[in-house]
Amino acid sequence: MPDAPLPGSRPGVIHDLGYRRFEGAREGSGAIARTLFTTGLRHAYGLGRSGKSKVMPFLLLAMSLLPAAIVVGVVVLTGLDELPVSYADYTNQTQLLVSLFAAAQAPVLFSRDLRHRSIVLYLARPLGASAFALVRWLSLTVALLLFTVVPTAVLLAGALLSGLDTSDQISAALKAVALQVLLAMLVAGVSGLISSVSLRRGFAVVGSVMALIVLTGVVTVMQNIAYFEGDSESVSTGVGLASPWSLYAGLANAWDAGVETVVPVDGAWVPAYVIVAALVVAGCLLGLVARFRKVGSR
Amino acid sequence: MSRVTGELIGHPPVISTAGLTKHYGTVHALTELTVDVGEGVTGLVGANGAGKSTLIKILLGLLEPTAGRASVLGHDIEHEGQDIRRLVGYMPEHDCLPPDVSASDFVVHMARMSGLGASAARERAADVLRHVGLDEERYRPMGGYSTGMKQRAKLAQALAHDPRLVFLDEPTNGLDPAARTDMLRLVERIGSDFGIAVLVTSHLLGELEQVSDHVIVLDGGHLLRSSATGEFTERTGSLLVEVVGTETERDRLGEALAQRGLTCRPRGAMVAIDPPPPELAEGGAAHDLIRDVAAELGLGLMRLQPDRRHLEDVFLEGGTRA
Repeated sequence: MPDAPLPGSRPGVIHDLGYRRFEGAREGSGAIARTLFTTGLRHAYGLGRSGKSKVMPFLLLAMSLLPAAIVVGVVVLTGLDELPVSYADYTNQTQLLVSLFAAAQAPVLFSRDLRHRSIVLYLARPLGASAFALVRWLSLTVALLLFTVVPTAVLLAGALLSGLDTSDQISAALKAVALQVLLAMLVAGVSGLISSVSLRRGFAVVGSVMALIVLTGVVTVMQNIAYFEGDSESVSTGVGLASPWSLYAGLANAWDAGVETVVPVDGAWVPAYVIVAALVVAGCLLGLVARFRKVGSR
Repeated sequence: MSRVTGELIGHPPVISTAGLTKHYGTVHALTELTVDVGEGVTGLVGANGAGKSTLIKILLGLLEPTAGRASVLGHDIEHEGQDIRRLVGYMPEHDCLPPDVSASDFVVHMARMSGLGASAARERAADVLRHVGLDEERYRPMGGYSTGMKQRAKLAQALAHDPRLVFLDEPTNGLDPAARTDMLRLVERIGSDFGIAVLVTSHLLGELEQVSDHVIVLDGGHLLRSSATGEFTERTGSLLVEVVGTETERDRLGEALAQRGLTCRPRGAMVAIDPPPPELAEGGAAHDLIRDVAAELGLGLMRLQPDRRHLEDVFLEGGTRA
């Protein structure tokens, strides 16, 4: 005969277990930073967020893939002996889409926590303001890098399928990826800093568009005026230091990655471009850290 | 006077400050604060701008003190901020919840940010959300929450990683009376049942009287007083009596009691009786007398209780002294 139920106990009763302590292992700062990084990267593409927030990033990604798919089709069908556009130049040509992606998604990573003040909850946890800002920037940098690397990979696959020289194509693609890393660091820094200062999403997007798209347009126009009207090569190259995209194009040109600039970047201009790019990234990071620390202490 | 609060027997203080000072330019948010906080619930009382939030932010390492030292759970705030933030939870005074995320997802994420693994974070989040009383609504975006629900979600994220100490900054802010009572009961449970030390702030003194074991009173950045709640609200020896009826009935009782040798004065709808003279103080003779007098007059006794001092009185006394 089965045991009789204990007096007073009924089947199907939900027992309040009371408060349970957590005795398990706690992760160190490295693991916490990794979690924050992964979450940020997913959020940049709308993953783990509402369905609506996936539309913009994936639409932009699809738009930036479409020309690559067409190029691949043309190369495979017509049997061209080289890609009609270099890997690095493809990114340059689709800069509007890359910039829009950065402008649209940077506020997700840099404005939300500040606007809703949830930054305070993060800063009351093990990661400090500096680590938080750096990890956020890294998330956006990798998100942007993926955005530019995916079309590069499609182009490379097409080039290899149509029987172009494997080692040439791979080295050119790797060169483009290295340049894209620098580009992603620059664009993430600039759009991140703008989004962390202007907390309204609309202002942040407009600010990033100004800094990434309008400024680049202005720089290109001035470079052309300086060269064709002012007849000055150095002014034209010097103006190119002013925007992330002209830095990218200038360095790609200097590295022979197949990007045309108004005036070829060479000589002492090459280290100048590298130094300015590094300074812009460092400046943006310092600005981000200062900004997060200030808001967190309020 | 001992400035140590809490059950300190055999335990190091949970929080210990020495000469803690914070100046914002000419504004002196905290001045030379030296106080120890022990286990249990400690109330931090003061008017708005008394330095309560500043103190919490300094203890969390979010603000640097102008001068002085402090340690939390044995860790120095200057050098071991990260160790402190691993062990404490913080519920800020202001709104801090992203509106497009559900409480469930948010608390899981915050638990992970405190160093819990993915599955542990999910389990803990479900646990604490149940404890704070967020049921089905935990799966809805927090933007649609009432103030009461938001306060619960904020509390849940502070408890998600099973801290040893929580800072609750004005947890009853903006709540209606029923929600306020719920929140206070929860605060009390955190300190007693959950075994987590609590530092809870409020500008409403009566609230903390109900739930705190100890109270620290701040006024304009200065420490006014720090001691056990019982000492604040010690019995005064006076009695309060209330009878059914209006002021007429109250006055009839008061006059009758005065004739029998008790000193009475009206207080609201009640009669306040000063500590009875020695011959009536023994063995509840005063209580019997009041009962008999009420019966003689045909009045219905509604309430007969010892009169306690309130924190407000202490605060006012201290305020005039300072």
